Amino acid sequence: MKYVLLVYGDENAAANMPAEAMQAFMGEYAAYTTKIQTNGIRKTGEAFQPTTTATTVRMQEAKKVTTHGPFAETKEQLGGFYLIECENLDEAIEWAAKCPDARFGSIEVRPVMEYNQGP
Amino acid sequence: MPESTTEFLERVHRQEYAKLIATLIGWLGDFELAEEALQDAFVSAMEHWEQNRAPRKPDAWLTTTARRKAIDRLRRSKPQIVDPEQLEDLPPKELAVTEDFGEVGEIPDERLKLIFTCCHPALPLEQQIALTLHTVGGLTTTEIAAAFLVTVPTMGQRLVRAKRKIKNAGIPYYVPPAHLLA
Repeated sequence: MKYVLLVYGDENAAANMPAEAMQAFMGEYAAYTTKIQTNGIRKTGEAFQPTTTATTVRMQEAKKVTTHGPFAETKEQLGGFYLIECENLDEAIEWAAKCPDARFGSIEVRPVMEYNQGP
Repeated sequence: MPESTTEFLERVHRQEYAKLIATLIGWLGDFELAEEALQDAFVSAMEHWEQNRAPRKPDAWLTTTARRKAIDRLRRSKPQIVDPEQLEDLPPKELAVTEDFGEVGEIPDERLKLIFTCCHPALPLEQQIALTLHTVGGLTTTEIAAAFLVTVPTMGQRLVRAKRKIKNAGIPYYVPPAHLLA
């Protein structure tokens, strides 16, 4: 089954991290990504620019309305994702728990909708 | 006074339900389909056992009938996760067990798997308890609703949500490996 691991963390805390700590953290991420990749679990994944760079778009009465940033003001922001393929939810949860941000923020495990090929 | 077919069926339902549903879920990987198929099998039993004599191994009879009913249901519905063609490719040993209503073979007891799946930590506690009472305990939605002091539709909804999450989120149907139980 396919799952997306949505990585949530505190952007401000990350921005204020001392350079050395940041480097160590990025090193952890590199190790995690390599591990999940070599196990054949990771299909793809990306890290996002901070929410200060985001633009939210809506169509209101056929007019395009853009606002800056994500809509909700929350302590944790979506910072990236991994698309993984696992045997079952337990396996996906184990990989989520190993993600470096699981210790500071949270990882949402979402099963991917499978569309069946109809006849 | 000899037991009527209805009384006999009630007894079988009471004694065998959890074992039967556990076996069917293991085979189908789908709680809702397993429940519907087993219900169909009990309806069939009501008709057949009334006319003929009840089988010596009612659990084997019900399992086999429920399997056929499940295949029928899958054929009638759009192709879903389970492929009916695939289900027919049962290993010969299993076929021998289920085709023969007599002495051969025991139905494997998968109730422990069922308990673990119903109580998976990814399900809210209220769903875990309700689903366990429903599938392992064989209690009706009405009975569980009364115990939880909620309405029957609320409880029905809760059970459906739990069953769907198990299916759609890929909650495994197994006794978890030791490192997950620590």
